[in-house]
Amino acid sequence: MALSLRESLHLVCDPGNLDAAVEEVFQLMVGVRCLRHAELPENEAEPESVTAMVGFAGLLSGACVFKSGRAAAIQIAARLTGMEFDAIDDTVKDALGEICNMLAGTWKGRNPDLAAHCGLSIPAVVTGRDYHLRVLASEFKLHHCYCFEDARFAVIILCDGLK
Amino acid sequence: MCEAKRPMHREVGESGMKEARILIVDDSAVMRKIVERALRQAGLDPLLVREAGSGTEGLEVLRTSVVDLILSDINMPSMDGLEFVRRIRAQKLAPGVPVVMITTESSEEHVKQAIEAGARGYIRKPFTAEQVKERVLPLLGAL
Repeated sequence: MALSLRESLHLVCDPGNLDAAVEEVFQLMVGVRCLRHAELPENEAEPESVTAMVGFAGLLSGACVFKSGRAAAIQIAARLTGMEFDAIDDTVKDALGEICNMLAGTWKGRNPDLAAHCGLSIPAVVTGRDYHLRVLASEFKLHHCYCFEDARFAVIILCDGLK
Repeated sequence: MCEAKRPMHREVGESGMKEARILIVDDSAVMRKIVERALRQAGLDPLLVREAGSGTEGLEVLRTSVVDLILSDINMPSMDGLEFVRRIRAQKLAPGVPVVMITTESSEEHVKQAIEAGARGYIRKPFTAEQVKERVLPLLGAL
């Protein structure tokens, strides 16, 4: 019988799995405890934002997206690497790509079928201002915002195909 | 110039830490540094750390350098970690040197594939220094 996630869709898109993945990655690698937060405000004072993406392929196709403003990006990268940054340079982008990679892997790892039959792409990171990301999510979408100290960020799971 | 083609025998260096020459293969420079930091926190003194951004680069390093331990990501461009380990074993580039995979892929299937390819251990990202210590130090017991 072909493997299918359709019958366990409610488990795959359980919001608690995303919260648990964020908690695990941020506690172990960034050393902070994140709390769920309301939607990220469109902060006009924030000069730049960062979006990191890791694609899913296989039983589930879609993407894991990490999004934050400049200050939060620098704060997370600094905690992850033990370095100091005053701009979003290649190291900050690399760090956030790895954060997104671990979030994607940890999230899918909470479902044994996904863990075994859903691959991850290499992370891609976009920075800049005044850009909008449009990705299809015809099956389901989880969009959670989190905060620690004064840093806020969003993690989004987009699913546009499910076998 | 190549390092001496023999294993290191100083188990504990002046720092009181176990010393080893280590190759870290990961396409993320940040992750390579994090792994190196975790090794130090685990009580290992990476006397000489070679870094490679892909399996292809890792093979090049092994052709000119002797290492005591190899830590490799799986999901990398150019040549992934599983193919990297297979080629190390097929080309007898680092005979007897343990390879530990460090990756976000965590299923039993991935662990099985890594062991079949020739890896001796598996660490899932995210990880703690304690996990690195538990999985890496026993493999260096003979140093």
